[in-house]
Amino acid sequence: MKINSQGKKRFFFLSILFFVWIFFIAFKLFKLQVIDYNTYMAKVKAQINRIEELHSKRGTITDRNGEILAISLQSKSAFLSNKDMEVSLAVYRDFCRQLALNNSQKLKVIKRIRRGEKFIWLKRKLTDEEYQRVLPLALNKQTAGTIDFIDEYRRVYPQNKIASHILGGVGIDEQALGGIETSLDSEIKGRGGKLKVLIDARKKIFQFKYLEQPVAGKNIHLSIDAALQFLVERELAGTVEKYQAAGGAVIVMNSSDASILAMASYPDYDPEEIWRTPAPALRNKAISFLYDPGSTFKIVLAAAALENRTCALHDMFNCHNGVYMVRDRQITDVHPFARLSFEDIFIQSSNIGAAGIGLRLGGEKYFQTIQRFGFGRRTGIELPAEENGILNPLEKWSGVSLAFLSHGYEISVTPLQMAMAFNVLASGGYLLQPKILFGGAAANLRPKILSPLSQEPLTTILTAVVDRGTGKKAAIEGVEIAGKTGTARKVKAGRYTNAYVSSFGGFFPARNPQVTVFVMIDEPLGMYYGGDVAAPLFKSITAKIMLYLKLFPNLPDRKGIYL
Amino acid sequence: MNKQGKASADFRLAILAFFIFAILFIYSGLNLKNVDLGYQQHDLLQQEKKMRAEIDRLQAQKASLLNLERMERIAREKLGYQYPEAGQIIKVFEADDEN
Repeated sequence: MKINSQGKKRFFFLSILFFVWIFFIAFKLFKLQVIDYNTYMAKVKAQINRIEELHSKRGTITDRNGEILAISLQSKSAFLSNKDMEVSLAVYRDFCRQLALNNSQKLKVIKRIRRGEKFIWLKRKLTDEEYQRVLPLALNKQTAGTIDFIDEYRRVYPQNKIASHILGGVGIDEQALGGIETSLDSEIKGRGGKLKVLIDARKKIFQFKYLEQPVAGKNIHLSIDAALQFLVERELAGTVEKYQAAGGAVIVMNSSDASILAMASYPDYDPEEIWRTPAPALRNKAISFLYDPGSTFKIVLAAAALENRTCALHDMFNCHNGVYMVRDRQITDVHPFARLSFEDIFIQSSNIGAAGIGLRLGGEKYFQTIQRFGFGRRTGIELPAEENGILNPLEKWSGVSLAFLSHGYEISVTPLQMAMAFNVLASGGYLLQPKILFGGAAANLRPKILSPLSQEPLTTILTAVVDRGTGKKAAIEGVEIAGKTGTARKVKAGRYTNAYVSSFGGFFPARNPQVTVFVMIDEPLGMYYGGDVAAPLFKSITAKIMLYLKLFPNLPDRKGIYL
Repeated sequence: MNKQGKASADFRLAILAFFIFAILFIYSGLNLKNVDLGYQQHDLLQQEKKMRAEIDRLQAQKASLLNLERMERIAREKLGYQYPEAGQIIKVFEADDEN
């Protein structure tokens, strides 16, 4: 077929057009791939690359038997992307219909939507039920992207208020707010990570790389027994309510290694609501309540006198028929006695007799013994906010200090310090370090501070206190209990008042101690003597512990056990 | 170049083109497979995360069901249990104990 010149021209013209077109495409590709490469690559990367923050999971806290006391669960937090105000308001109204939110919360969010804020939290840490209720709002195609969710962890305390002061609690951002959550925060919280992900057009991840691997928090195994803790807390709450007291504390520990089996403080709180709990309820009275111990402190005086061989058990002391003046200060006894033996001074809890022993012993020896028992410094338990207590240096003692310190005044202690002092007798003379972490007692070796020559007679005296002295209401038939009562005036604004602290410390079985218990009731109304308020609480707690630990009284076969 | 030589050169060119296409095909296939594995890996990771969350949730639920207050309430109210009264506990000694 012959092509005429007209056809050749057309062919030539079309070829030119074709090459121009090809050249244009080639140029455009060159521009896209070479000249503007960096610009477009940055845009693509911005669209498909994302760095996700990975939250670390806080460690689980369990009791000595592995019962969970605190655990972090994955949960969703809902937020609103406020792109269109009208849509946002409509979606938020639907959101509010699904969840029970209070009016002030609603108004705050509506204000923020109207202000045009782009990111607004709607509700953090939704429960599974709440999430299921609001999920359809996020899936609605018409309002897609308005409500979305972020994965977070929610701290849950399945035993509710049990061991609240030991556990503490966390805030909305999982920040520690007290208790073991605070003291071991660096171990429990772990470390967050970063994940670099590539996402497709459907927002599905098709490639990822850990920039920082998240490290989960360490699990914590406490020495407490949740069942004992529950029993102790209930008994304590009962006594505080019965005497309309301001509060109280109980410490139960294993006598041989000082591991804490239960530590209760009242008033208590719900750890999940820690952020809205008033400050006084957050205070762990077992370690941060300072008070003058009163007569329970006489065990330190007795230990000092026996250890220094200053007194023998049958030495007699003048008790001045119940009233004794030391310089311008008066010391009185509840029950007046003319004379009492060394052991009867403790059995009858004579303040005047104790002052006589103290004066015979001398300040220096007494001060050294008080220091050896660990007063005036923290015990070192793994809990935050522990108080040192107040022990004035010997140089600052006044002319009456020795007499008053002899029956537990002019010194401030915590219930835990007193529990540790009783445990010196129960552990065979050792001042151990109390432990709230399970298995941490292996290294709990301390020098012996009391010889058997002092410890054994002192245990006999404390057994007599319960058998026939001021602590009779702590007695349980068939069990030898060693203990001491304490009643002390409270100091307010630098003056002793008519408000009292009742306490009782002891251990059982006296000759082979297994458990040491210390109870303290702050400002009971009506009755206030340690023997009337604290001793019965000690008894009821001891009875429950004995049932639970199967430490049955030594009674003849088939005789009923009176617990 | 004679006719036979030209045919041989064309054949070599065709073989080369085939290999280039084969390499490109395998390369893109592997790339696609890699992307697919990425999706799978991420899905598995999500599944693992979900399962761990489920284990935690079940553990928390178990702990809540074993809540001591709840157990005591059930024991008292539903099962009619109560703490033994004083004197109701009797320790019976076995023959071995007496020895």
